[in-house]
Amino acid sequence: MHLKYKPAYTHAIICLFLILFCVVQSKAQSTTDSTAAADSALLKQIEAQMQTDTTQQPAAQPRSSLSFNPDIGVIGDFQGLYISKGSRNFDMYLNEAEISLQATVDPYARADFFLSFSRDPATNKYSATVEEGYLTTLSLPAKLQLKAGKFREAVGRINPTHPHALPFIDLPNAYVNLFGEEGLNDEGVSLSWLLPNKAFYQELVAQITSGFSESPAFARSQGNHLIYLGHLKNFFTLSDNATLELGLTGISGPNDSARTTSIAAGDLTYKYKPVQMNTYHSLTWQSEFYYSHNNQTENNAVNAIGLYSFLQYQLAKRTFLTGRYDYGEKPYYNFIKEQAYSLTFGWYATEFSKIEVEAKTTDDNISSRFYQAWFRWIFVIGAHGAHQY
Amino acid sequence: MNFMKRISIVALFAFIFFHANAKTIKVVTTLTDLKSITELIGGDKVSVTSIATGYQNPHFVDPKPSYIISLSNADMYVTIGLDLEAGWSPQLLASSRNTKIQKGSAGYVDASEGIGLFQVPTAANRAEGDIHIFGNPHYWLDPLNGKVIARNIANGLERVDPSNKATYEANLQTFYKNIDDKMKEWQAKMAPFKGTKIIAYHNEWVYFEKRFGLQIVDFMEPKPGIPPTPSQLVKVINEIKSNNIKVIISSPYFSTSSSDVVSKQTGVKALTMATSTGAFPSVKNYFDVFDYDINQLTAALK
Repeated sequence: MHLKYKPAYTHAIICLFLILFCVVQSKAQSTTDSTAAADSALLKQIEAQMQTDTTQQPAAQPRSSLSFNPDIGVIGDFQGLYISKGSRNFDMYLNEAEISLQATVDPYARADFFLSFSRDPATNKYSATVEEGYLTTLSLPAKLQLKAGKFREAVGRINPTHPHALPFIDLPNAYVNLFGEEGLNDEGVSLSWLLPNKAFYQELVAQITSGFSESPAFARSQGNHLIYLGHLKNFFTLSDNATLELGLTGISGPNDSARTTSIAAGDLTYKYKPVQMNTYHSLTWQSEFYYSHNNQTENNAVNAIGLYSFLQYQLAKRTFLTGRYDYGEKPYYNFIKEQAYSLTFGWYATEFSKIEVEAKTTDDNISSRFYQAWFRWIFVIGAHGAHQY
Repeated sequence: MNFMKRISIVALFAFIFFHANAKTIKVVTTLTDLKSITELIGGDKVSVTSIATGYQNPHFVDPKPSYIISLSNADMYVTIGLDLEAGWSPQLLASSRNTKIQKGSAGYVDASEGIGLFQVPTAANRAEGDIHIFGNPHYWLDPLNGKVIARNIANGLERVDPSNKATYEANLQTFYKNIDDKMKEWQAKMAPFKGTKIIAYHNEWVYFEKRFGLQIVDFMEPKPGIPPTPSQLVKVINEIKSNNIKVIISSPYFSTSSSDVVSKQTGVKALTMATSTGAFPSVKNYFDVFDYDINQLTAALK
């Protein structure tokens, strides 16, 4: 019996081995096949690349300045001020020295830093602050872009612009009443979405910030009350030479009464710049309107409005004239109403330096009219990125 | 009826299938010359838009947000490079949210790769005006550099659309041949004027000057980017008189007022040349730029 079963048992083992062998062989074969296929594809790719590489081209010349250092620029802002009231009514000062450091971080993001050195008028001491320092993504899907860090927030046209790039030296009264001389510039995150609108440019921005950089309208809350901002930018190309931008902004955040201040803002900008002679002639009409609602106590809220409107005309290649009208109600004392008119003459020597002179008259309903005049000299060394259009 | 229905359905599917396969490569170029060359290489496989027009100063294009719409959907971006577009191109690219066309991506084409450059400075000093640290970037004004540009564009198209490589290579060879044929004609026309001294408004003609044997002795701008000053105009007037110069060449985007003053004083002809495709209505492609300029120059220098 034992011997009888032995061959069958052996056959079974041999069969099993054969089956296993076949399976392994076929596996090995298929692996070899797939490896061979991959090798062949790789070979083809290499051949194709070599073919491309062997095309006749003059040798590329070595490029200078190859380094991973960021683009570095320094902007000087020297100013003089006269005011028709007070005992010391003239001053000269280096308003700001701004250092910009800008570069791409990796394939996914870029980083921008703007470090500001300026003198505190109260202590007469210079101090350094991070004016802006943020990371911007380059590779989010669905036309999204995320920004994180400290940045000038997306309120209309003036707030995102560095003051040295504005066509006047002072800031509009209504803007300063709400956001202060430094603007709404805070720490947090910003998500922007390019709307899939092929007819005109539309961008929706949502920002959440901590309220760390306090402005007159908002204060850092003791709890987790953050500042929320939404901005819709609409940009229309009217012709090759003319464009129109309409922006709508809503902001809500804690105020210094530990309650909520809400602001609605709108901006409208018309630009005429003949494409062919765009370095010689241009005209810009820009206006912003602000409405603020400040909850002071449970039963008391103060509403205030403010606006500015300016017209800038480029007289010649290097000369610009800007007239501006300001109206502003103080956000917490809306019975104080300010009106101001200003005129600024600018001489732009090159892309890297400009001299401006501004005269302004301000009138409010509680004190007498007063006059101010400024001059400033802006100068840039090193690299400096382009400003928003 | 049933048969017709089936035919209709098959036709509909065939239409959808072929339509889906007929996807064109969307290319955005900074200048119109790059657009023209891309169209010649890409043929019906590409749809191309240019940010700048042919009659505006390529250094000072306003980075309008509207350009971001086409950039956000582009498969390829072609730039002159060498910092020509430094004031506007990086900002637009960063705002495009399109990884396909960022520097270093397959869809980013720097047309200057492999160009033999003139006027590469030994030191970067803005006291010399608007100088370009990588060299003079107006290299497309030499038709032979057009061939290098075309090679770079073909390489880019083959990276983003390898399936049509044969078409791009064939079109590239045609482009090379057409440039070589036209070069013979252009050089024959310019031959009698070899060594002729001329004045230029801005330092953007060095590649044209060297290729066609002209000699630019001075510029209306005292330094690149600085508008003409009275002392510079006096200097230019004296140079025109002492060298018997017949022509000042300028571009559509510069004021003619200073050239007119010099022209009145000396009788010199002030020519507004085409610096790019589309500079004038008759300059419809890259070849027309040289036809237009050479015809103007030879007529003025006779």
